[in-house]
Amino acid sequence: MQVTLETPDFQAYRGQEPPRFANRAELECAKVLDYYGVPWQYEPTTFVLEEDEDGRVVEAFKPDFYLPEQDLYVEVTVMKQSLVTRKNRKLRKLRERYPDVRVKLFYKRDIERLAERYRLELAS
Amino acid sequence: MRELGRELGRDYDGREPLLVAPLKASFVFVADLSRALRIPHGLDFLELASYAAGADRGGHARVRLLKDLDTEIAGRHVVIVEDVVDTGLTLNYLCKTLALRAPASLAAVTLLDRPYRRLVEDLPVRYVGFTVPDELFVGYGFDLDERYRNLPDLHVLES
Repeated sequence: MQVTLETPDFQAYRGQEPPRFANRAELECAKVLDYYGVPWQYEPTTFVLEEDEDGRVVEAFKPDFYLPEQDLYVEVTVMKQSLVTRKNRKLRKLRERYPDVRVKLFYKRDIERLAERYRLELAS
Repeated sequence: MRELGRELGRDYDGREPLLVAPLKASFVFVADLSRALRIPHGLDFLELASYAAGADRGGHARVRLLKDLDTEIAGRHVVIVEDVVDTGLTLNYLCKTLALRAPASLAAVTLLDRPYRRLVEDLPVRYVGFTVPDELFVGYGFDLDERYRNLPDLHVLES
């Protein structure tokens, strides 16, 4: 679900369309990347994970961020650790199907650590 | 500390490295490391505006130096002395900034490392004190809201 969030004037954003973040945690992560001048894109790639017999996509995964200089995808999740099983499974499938794609999952705990370090505003 | 001092001393013997410590958390570490390093070397400090400070100013600023080095580093062997490397965002900025000044070489030593949190991988972290779990530390220069830096040892902060 998309929510209405501020849209800062990003300087290290390398996408075409203005990013529309799904939640406050994504926005704050984008702001930190931007602050440190690390080029980033928002949801630039959809990876097909599974197709049916007719070739129709039945499961796909679109990581939140892509850092072109690092060639790294980053998925941010604010779900509790105990509820990320489905996302972990998707990540596992992505790594199986696209072994050359580097992707990192930032869990709620990682985001909270970032928030502590950078004093982010995660509540919205 | 003695091990790190020995490693650095062996690798930089005859090159008179410059230890560069970003303020503030690394000030205790760099003091101990300097005393453990038995070869001639220089010391300098810099300070970056933290993300939090930028946010407090209300704008969406970029990271910048609050205090620059006093030393000219062109042709010098520079070793950045970090308290902790996790995402690598800060160190990445420092390396890019200092590399523009044409040092002879650029490397980093960190007291604590959290490689599993890395967002920027291509960093010259050559020396690591301890690879640590995802815990918060205070003491030995590490603070919690500017307190506890003075504690002589590292302590894990219980949430």
